[in-house]
Amino acid sequence: MSAEDILVKTKLGEYLVKKGLLYTESDEWIKVQDSTITLGITDYAQKKLKYVVNVELPEPGRSVNAGEPIVTLESVKSVADAYSPCSGEVLEVNEELYDTPDLINKDPYGAGWLVKIKPAEPIDESKFLSPEAYAEKIRAKEE
Amino acid sequence: MLKTARETPLLETLRKYGASVGEFAGWITAMDYGNPLEEHMATRNSVTVFDVSHMGRYLIRGDNIFEFFQKLVSKDLSKFKEGRMSGPVLLLNENAYIIDDVMLYYLSDTEWLAVVNAPNIEKDRAWMLKWAKEWGYSITIEDITLSTALIAIQGPRAPEVIEKLGVKEAESLSILEFLHRPSALGEEAILVSRSGWTGEEVRSYGYEIMTTVKHGKHIFEAAVKAGAKPAGLIARDSLRLEMGYPLIGVDIGNDVNPIEARYWMALSLKKRGFLGEEALRRIYREGVSKFRVAFKLKKGVRRIPRHGNNVLIDGKVVGYVTSGAYSPVLGRSIGMGYIEATHSYIGFKVTIDIRGKTYEAKILDFPLI
Repeated sequence: MSAEDILVKTKLGEYLVKKGLLYTESDEWIKVQDSTITLGITDYAQKKLKYVVNVELPEPGRSVNAGEPIVTLESVKSVADAYSPCSGEVLEVNEELYDTPDLINKDPYGAGWLVKIKPAEPIDESKFLSPEAYAEKIRAKEE
Repeated sequence: MLKTARETPLLETLRKYGASVGEFAGWITAMDYGNPLEEHMATRNSVTVFDVSHMGRYLIRGDNIFEFFQKLVSKDLSKFKEGRMSGPVLLLNENAYIIDDVMLYYLSDTEWLAVVNAPNIEKDRAWMLKWAKEWGYSITIEDITLSTALIAIQGPRAPEVIEKLGVKEAESLSILEFLHRPSALGEEAILVSRSGWTGEEVRSYGYEIMTTVKHGKHIFEAAVKAGAKPAGLIARDSLRLEMGYPLIGVDIGNDVNPIEARYWMALSLKKRGFLGEEALRRIYREGVSKFRVAFKLKKGVRRIPRHGNNVLIDGKVVGYVTSGAYSPVLGRSIGMGYIEATHSYIGFKVTIDIRGKTYEAKILDFPLI
């Protein structure tokens, strides 16, 4: 955790929101770099989902639509989807997750990333939440 | 009416050990401590400590409580005596459908303890009072759920932990026996029993301690110091599933009768004169249309069967899943559910539709391990 990151504390838990990322309403984070988008789920999402035992990832090369469920995450407790933040093409998936799906719990913003996507057109960053706005959303949900 | 979740009285203590908290049946409590599969395995191979204070606890007092409960519950209590637990016993309605499964503790001739399931705390109290009134028994019910803690210490090394807690005579207890007001950590506890709901109790490796909240915090901490790994409700769920123990409101409930649920350990079919008896005997005699069974999926199938998934034979729906989990002991997904009596091919194959894909599974009897 860097000094800039936000630690949201509620009566139910503590959730890390990292700076330098954008967030979605459906609890994913995205990182935009060199016209590639990396997608993952947030610390809040992994804590709600609990221990992940199975991840189903899309085939690299597949074209995806914005808002389409592209990753299925199954935990000991429940099942959730992660949605594509944009239309484009799947460049790469995190194959480490097939053997060690709990990387999502251990390092949701790092080794637990899910998918890299090449967007069909440049990302409109205003459609996403800033770290501050996402932190506020968690607080509002839990209080 | 706005319903806010209650917190287990041990919540702050559980957080100290890294509890990931969540809600179960209106209670905020520990779901896991980072890795529920490790907690599961530690229960089978070593020892764990669970806070199960979300279970409802009632002290029931009256001059004729034996007679009252003998009329109320499914299981024969005629050999029940002081220092023993009986259960699970079922509270059945007049149609022999299940209200709750309950553990009874015989504290004295005029005072029993009932430990009930979290979703049914209020319902069970109303049910007991309704029938006491109907039958003319004078009983009182004191709710001690929030003023006490219930802690389970489970696994092959549980006796070591109990010894380190200084509970004398605990080793001489048989399964479902308890010590009333024993000393633990040099202070009086309410009771220490040889029991649990993980499967370890049947190997005599399970203890439960009921005591005051303050003492309970010390007991939990001392158990961890003595080597017990803290474990949460997710591990408790996969442990009970391996054993085939049903969960009320999920696997059994008011839409199922005990014959369909094959809940034999909660029944005494020779018993007469209890609520739901006539209906139960009629069902037993005439037969049922579905049975509760276990499912075991193939190794390598990563998906877990979930509540509501369909069970099929040759494309025809013949049953449904009520619970599922990944069993770290078996290294595969397992489930529990119901299958039509005409198709209860125990030992043979079916398929389960999990989110639109079908997977082969074997229908089995309990326990799975």
